[in-house]
Amino acid sequence: MNKFRENPVQRTLFYIILSIIIVYLLFPFYWAVNSSLKSESQLSMTPATFIPKDPATNNVSIYWKNYKGVFANGSFVRGLFNSLIVATSTTVLALTAGSFAAFALGKLRFKGKKPSLYIILAMTMFPQVTVLSGLYAIINLLNLGALFSMILTYMLFTLPFTTWVLTSFFRELPIEIMQSAQVDGATPFQTFRMILLPLTAPALVTTGLLSFIAAWNEYLFALTFTSIDPSARTVPVAIQYFSGEFARQEPFGEIMAAAVVVTIPIVILVLIFQKRIVAGLTAGAVKG
Amino acid sequence: MSRNNSSDLAKEEQRLAYKLLIPAFLILIIIAIYPLGQVFYSSFTDREFASSKETSFIGLQNYDKLLSLTIKKLPAEIDEETGQKIINPDTGKVEYENPIRVLPRKPYLYRPLQEFNLFGNRYVIGSADTDFIKSLYNTLVFTIVSVLLETILGLGIALVVNSEFKGRGMMRAVMLVPWAVITVVSARMWEWMFEPSRIGLFNMLFEKIGLTEGNTAFLSMSEYQLPSLIAVDVWKTTPFMALLILAGLQLIPNELYEAAEVDGANKVKQFFNITLPLLKPSLAVALIFRTLDALRVFDVFQVMLAQKRYSMASYNYFQLISGRNMGMASAIGVIIFILIFVFALLYIKVLGVETE
Repeated sequence: MNKFRENPVQRTLFYIILSIIIVYLLFPFYWAVNSSLKSESQLSMTPATFIPKDPATNNVSIYWKNYKGVFANGSFVRGLFNSLIVATSTTVLALTAGSFAAFALGKLRFKGKKPSLYIILAMTMFPQVTVLSGLYAIINLLNLGALFSMILTYMLFTLPFTTWVLTSFFRELPIEIMQSAQVDGATPFQTFRMILLPLTAPALVTTGLLSFIAAWNEYLFALTFTSIDPSARTVPVAIQYFSGEFARQEPFGEIMAAAVVVTIPIVILVLIFQKRIVAGLTAGAVKG
Repeated sequence: MSRNNSSDLAKEEQRLAYKLLIPAFLILIIIAIYPLGQVFYSSFTDREFASSKETSFIGLQNYDKLLSLTIKKLPAEIDEETGQKIINPDTGKVEYENPIRVLPRKPYLYRPLQEFNLFGNRYVIGSADTDFIKSLYNTLVFTIVSVLLETILGLGIALVVNSEFKGRGMMRAVMLVPWAVITVVSARMWEWMFEPSRIGLFNMLFEKIGLTEGNTAFLSMSEYQLPSLIAVDVWKTTPFMALLILAGLQLIPNELYEAAEVDGANKVKQFFNITLPLLKPSLAVALIFRTLDALRVFDVFQVMLAQKRYSMASYNYFQLISGRNMGMASAIGVIIFILIFVFALLYIKVLGVETE
């Protein structure tokens, strides 16, 4: 961790860089917020305005109807709920199975480690479009509900990811930690659960958040598996179905409003977990 | 694990390892074996999507068609009366035969991909599936440029966020916002910003600062298409890189920096001697997954360019849905798979990730 800059010049420079980063990361999102607060006629103003303005008077005029429309839309609200279930379950499952596998791959000695790593990675190397029809056949065969189908198929891209990232983290943990635990009479699994897992909290939270968002955003599988069961649609699919449901034109303002609404739960989630991203993995853990 | 030589302990460790791998492999076997096997198998057939037509085995023909390239010399056009080469009166250059006439028509119809001059002769590269070869090129350029930019930016952002300053908790949330915006919607959002009139952000801005007339068609003009898409992808996925790198930074013990400080090593030296080498394993894994996603890029191409310009995956989609050529689409899938495998191996070897 860098020490806080003592030198005022350095400090100013640091905050300038920080501001540039913030603007870069947030501006396009700000533009979506801006667009979501505009009516159709405000959206087609030239030049586009940085804040919603009335085309006639040029005064600031905020248009809330897009948000009202979004929340009045039953399939969107249900979609939020479905997305929450699917993304949470996917993350929990991928982290559980992934951390078990990663412990074995990162810290235990056994035959066939290298092939295992490559096989797991290979599972995620095909474009989703290509495997879709095969997956659909399996889902039909297993006859799972749409929600469970999504959770299971999302393993295709989340599980290899969690396994690989966690493996690289387990590998970095000093071997002394395991040795001292073993001297104290802990079984390898106890060492894993009570010592290694807490130490990899930053990696668990990081991969968890990234998997959660990946599942939250997934579109193609969701579209396919909810085609027979519209009530299971997740948010990205629900948003795509906005088109045509209301106006004759594509309701761009509403799509942007939905995008803003959908991003907020993720930001809250990150705020809750962010402290853990940099939680205390210290080399000092080996001492004593 | 302690260096206990007793073979019992080693066996026990091995057994535990296999048990721990069961859940992951069970899930992957259920969902992956059949679809992946089907892709491989279909790629050797002329199977049609959603059709009752009988499928027959055609060996490597799909691959052959996709990847066939040929180079032919273009003869100059000869004036029938004078027997001289025809010179274009406007440009003063020699006129050449239309490439279509020179390129082979069997077993496939070759189309011109690119012409070039070499030692005073003119040549044409022909391909049996120019859209695919172009999509391969688009995807590779897209992948290399965007992954490179994302790595540099991600590293920079991770280092900044890793410093101590007020509000860095908030900053960690801000950092993830682009990644959190739903991909399909983010593509639409950017499409809106790229509008070819001053309705769009970029044209409005560029016109304001006097750079353009404010009517650049970013997504229609071929020279702006890839840069625009790369801009979208870099914005969207830099957080992915930044977060993984940030987690990797946590693994580097503070003591190392303290020791370097005592030795009088400056920050730049510390970065190259401590941070970068120790970050390599995390960086390698982040790069593998980022590259893998970039090579399979679909959403941004499909939403923003549709049939104007393909990535490999969007061409794959086009072949499957519009062309119903499931065999051909599968072959494209396998080619993407092989390409990704090559990249992954390269990272593992170059960055020295231990797999043992």
